[in-house]
Amino acid sequence: MSTAGLASLLPLPVVAPLLGSVAAPLVARRSGRLALIVGTAALAASTVVLALLAPDVYAGRVLSHFMGHWTPVGGAALGVAFSADAWGLTYALAASAVGAVILVATLSQQADLADKEVGGLTALFLLLDAGLIGVGLTADLINLFVWFEVAALASYALTAFFLERPPALEAAFKILVLTTIAGFAVFLGAALLYVNHGATNFGQLHTALAGHPTTPDRIAFGLLVAGFGTKAGLVPFHGWLPDAHSAAPGSVSALFSGLMVGLGVVATARIAFGVFSPEATGPILGVLMTVGVVSALGGALYALFQDDLKRLLAYDTISQMGVLVVGLATHEASGLAGSAYHLVNHALFKSLLFLCAGAIVHRRGLTRLSEMGSLGRESPWLAGAFVVGVAAIAGVPPFDGYVSVGLIHHALMESGQPVVLGLMIVAQTLTIAALGRAAWLAFFRRRHEPLEGPEPLRAGMSVALVVLSAACLVSGAVPGILLHRVAGPAAGALLDPASSARAALGAAVRIIAPSLSFDYFDPKELALVALTLVAAVPLARLAMAVPEDGLVGRMREAVQTGSVNDYAAYLIGGLTAVVAALALR
Amino acid sequence: MIVVNELAAVALLCIGLYAVLTKRNLVKIVMGLSLMEASTYLMLLSFGYRAHSTAPVLLNPPAGQTPQQLATGNVADPMLQNVCLTAIVIGVAVTGVFLAVVVRLAQHYGTVDSDKVRTLRG
Repeated sequence: MSTAGLASLLPLPVVAPLLGSVAAPLVARRSGRLALIVGTAALAASTVVLALLAPDVYAGRVLSHFMGHWTPVGGAALGVAFSADAWGLTYALAASAVGAVILVATLSQQADLADKEVGGLTALFLLLDAGLIGVGLTADLINLFVWFEVAALASYALTAFFLERPPALEAAFKILVLTTIAGFAVFLGAALLYVNHGATNFGQLHTALAGHPTTPDRIAFGLLVAGFGTKAGLVPFHGWLPDAHSAAPGSVSALFSGLMVGLGVVATARIAFGVFSPEATGPILGVLMTVGVVSALGGALYALFQDDLKRLLAYDTISQMGVLVVGLATHEASGLAGSAYHLVNHALFKSLLFLCAGAIVHRRGLTRLSEMGSLGRESPWLAGAFVVGVAAIAGVPPFDGYVSVGLIHHALMESGQPVVLGLMIVAQTLTIAALGRAAWLAFFRRRHEPLEGPEPLRAGMSVALVVLSAACLVSGAVPGILLHRVAGPAAGALLDPASSARAALGAAVRIIAPSLSFDYFDPKELALVALTLVAAVPLARLAMAVPEDGLVGRMREAVQTGSVNDYAAYLIGGLTAVVAALALR
Repeated sequence: MIVVNELAAVALLCIGLYAVLTKRNLVKIVMGLSLMEASTYLMLLSFGYRAHSTAPVLLNPPAGQTPQQLATGNVADPMLQNVCLTAIVIGVAVTGVFLAVVVRLAQHYGTVDSDKVRTLRG
């Protein structure tokens, strides 16, 4: 198909799940299973369309489409632009493909729900996923805000899906307050940029901001970074994340953690590198680096002493988002490629782990690690899937985390930031200890009092676990292909904002991917993995020896107080600090 | 731009923020957020205003003016008004969800005190 023909397909990946979300509740009146089929078909259709675009986009082209064929006149965009570059397409593809897998698991796990509820769950799931795909494809600031809100609205309802459970309502209230404030920040930031430059198209804004951004521009920048940082769950904007993840149904947490939080990182990268440029806005890399390191360390530390399995995984999500942002903040080809790679990997391994947690709830009704034990004996496949996920996060070759985290480490080395590198290695060690401890306590520790016979796993659940485990292995085992064909072009798109800007206004461009190399058998990298693994063992033992309600527990609750006022205050404090750092340099 | 309106918007934003940060009553928190939301609308509409401008409506122009003159002349920015309308629609939906959650919370916890609605912590 011609390039123009391909580009005109761009709205379809968003339209398909939106149509599905309308159709699902209708067909669910007939049967819940039909809703499952409609939903999966919608996401599969999105994936197929995006895959059709992939060869062109990863070869360096940027496909652009203007809604209603309102093409730009004299360099001014009239219609809303959708523009698929390698960075956005990677996220959109992950959102649709992994989303389809999680949807299969969701609906097979929730088979005991009434048909009407299944219809509603499918509709919300598809709505959220449509928002995520839209964020990956859009090239318009106001449109980005709209997708942000679509995803946000769906996430509120999904968090409170178990309306009869009080903690779910509590979590829903917290995510509502924090995301609403984040929405105001994004809204005001986008409006300020429009007022100053009369444009919402990324390309037009980039051209207008190419000189020296004024103070209002910088304030707008700060507001946007803080708003999207909230969605990404970065410290100090993270208050909603652990609660929302632990209260939602298991596979909804997989969607939140694997895909939704990535929205914030993808949009931040777009704004920071595609609309603004680090050269002109000075401290942005420092701000991102600080936020990233604090999130990586803080999230890992909180995960280490956590007893609730889903909360533990949620805190680890904060940590992994920090790692992603550190990769972005290097602004080196290898760091950006590492972030793109890690974004996909995180979608795979975190979805896998949350589905495992959901499966444990399904089989045993257990959520706390202290109540689990010996689960590996009765469900070796589940234990295997969990261990695959842990090994992937830990960066054990041949699983996928090894390459992406390795690339980010390389970038830190190349850009001469040994202190940050050291802190990232500490965070990595803490992460391994936290997840290793979880795997040990849940699956391998001997438990003395026997449990009743477990509920069998449903077929859809098992399929999802196998597919995601296999994907973790494949993604790590063919690093050459992914690095040069996917992550490299994605980094290229972020490093060449001028070409992306012209593409967002309809010009045909060709972005050249930076040449990247990753030595899979680099002894230093392998030694580092071995070192972090060894160092994690005493840490995990220490964490197991610490009593839950002792000093550590009280210190944890002194920060994560559970009060929505406190979380809003952290958010506002962080927002003020980010805006101040960017505006008054 | 109208300076008085912008100052009023900032004042409203601060009052709303004060409520969100200090009030423990969940309904008051929702009210604070609604105030913050209203302030963003006021802010945007005054951003879009230009001195002595007319509404961006080209049909039935004021006496003595042609649609052509209006289109190239001094009109308020319709784009920001449009965005505001979109945001108001989203805002209504969010407030609806908010209040539904508060009602449910009040039923389950028997209180609307945010300090008592914190079983999830640590």
